[in-house]
Amino acid sequence: MLRKLLAFLSVYYAHMTVYRGEILFWLLTGLAPFFFMAIWVEAARQGLTDRDPLAFARYFFFVFVTRQLQVVWVTWTLSEEIRSGAFAFKLLQPLDPFWHYLAQHVAERGVRFPMIFLLLLVFLWLYPGALFWVGGGRLFLGLAASLLGFLLNFLVAYALGLLALWLEEATDLYNAWYVFFMLFSGYLAPLDLYPQAVRGVLDLTPFPYLAYLPAALWSGEPVPGVGRGFLVLLGWTLLAFLLARGLWRAGLRRFSAMGA
Amino acid sequence: MRYLRLFFTFFQAAMAARMEYRANFLAALAVVLLESAGMLFGLFLFYRNGYDLGGWRWQEALLVMAAARFLDGFFTSWLSPNLQKISERVQQGTLDFVLLKPVDSQFWVSVEQFTVWGLPSLLVGGLLLAYAAPAAGANPFYFLAGVVLGAVLFYALAFLMATTTIWFVKLYNVVNFLGAVLWNAQYPISAFDRPFRLFMTYVLPVYFMTTVPAEVALGRKGPGFLALLALLAGVFFLLSRAFWRFALRSYGSASS
Repeated sequence: MLRKLLAFLSVYYAHMTVYRGEILFWLLTGLAPFFFMAIWVEAARQGLTDRDPLAFARYFFFVFVTRQLQVVWVTWTLSEEIRSGAFAFKLLQPLDPFWHYLAQHVAERGVRFPMIFLLLLVFLWLYPGALFWVGGGRLFLGLAASLLGFLLNFLVAYALGLLALWLEEATDLYNAWYVFFMLFSGYLAPLDLYPQAVRGVLDLTPFPYLAYLPAALWSGEPVPGVGRGFLVLLGWTLLAFLLARGLWRAGLRRFSAMGA
Repeated sequence: MRYLRLFFTFFQAAMAARMEYRANFLAALAVVLLESAGMLFGLFLFYRNGYDLGGWRWQEALLVMAAARFLDGFFTSWLSPNLQKISERVQQGTLDFVLLKPVDSQFWVSVEQFTVWGLPSLLVGGLLLAYAAPAAGANPFYFLAGVVLGAVLFYALAFLMATTTIWFVKLYNVVNFLGAVLWNAQYPISAFDRPFRLFMTYVLPVYFMTTVPAEVALGRKGPGFLALLALLAGVFFLLSRAFWRFALRSYGSASS
């Protein structure tokens, strides 16, 4: 199994390097955190909150980084392959296609990640002195939250993509998930600026731990309830896993390999 | 006249094809409504703390958001599908069929496709305008004129970028990148930190597409500024035509 996965990874890495230009532009479409950075830095300069401008810059830069680690497109791929019938060829192999898609995503990170360094340089040029060493513990915890977040995003996208077996097209459903993410994860503003009542509800959803938690950890801000956050995130990931498995079992019977 | 008729033929054909996905359309509508509500909430986070984004009242800032919504709808419904189709045509060699037709090829590849996914954005833009224009004392005609000119400018820039597909073939994300930058321009330009302001004015001039229409409608900039915008849009439009012709000269026709 491990050998198969490693083979997948190297094949898909080679495959993805062909698309490096595409991936670069895709990275650039995810620049929204930089624009929100610009808005909040300006607002902080005018004295809106007691955070200093560089703290906002730092926060949004890490929102961008963690988001880049969590980008998934498997809903789109599944919809496409189910509609065209290409999905049938994946089913012929003596291996759950799940691993194909997962390896694709992991390998793509290898191409995407060096590009993030380019943006790191731009960021350091725009806001010199914004970054500092937060310590290995926080670095590790932030990375762990990001990876868990990636897994959750992937499982949700996978489950929604399987719905294409019934609906033929499921990308809009993933868009809905993405909009929830955008609004409630701290992507638009650090969550501690949200009204208290809103936050109480959000803490039970997975969203605050997808962006706010890792970004706050990495930017050295006080984050109460890290342990509870991980538990909530883990719980939702498990739920998404069960959902994906259930849909897989039910959906396979419906697949008729149209077009193939 | 012939071009107008062609446009409506394309429109009808595209609509007929799209009506199959009615459930998806409802999902897209819900997503846009939710997203707009979220963006309003994001704006509210500033105003509830008494910060005015560099001198904009709440209603005035909503005008900028309305302009961004209109352009986003235009992008999703017309620009994005058409420009994406160009690179598909180059990949498959079917651009030849368009070039053989006795119709201006740029016109054909620019209006052939249409999707309904942008309509909810246009709807939200209309609602925002209907509320914000009277509340802020803005002139809606100046505003709409500004948005239309902004759309022309946006089209010209996007088409310029899309034309490079003749050489590079794949460009799905280049087009999306433009849409993403525009999406970020739904706040007044004065809200952004200086380097970003410069970027949005001189590098990818989304400033002229969303903030300027609101500024002219509010009387912060004279109507003469609309003429400037028209000039800018006109120049880029002609540039996009010249570049398209230039690019076609190096189009080698794939596969056939």
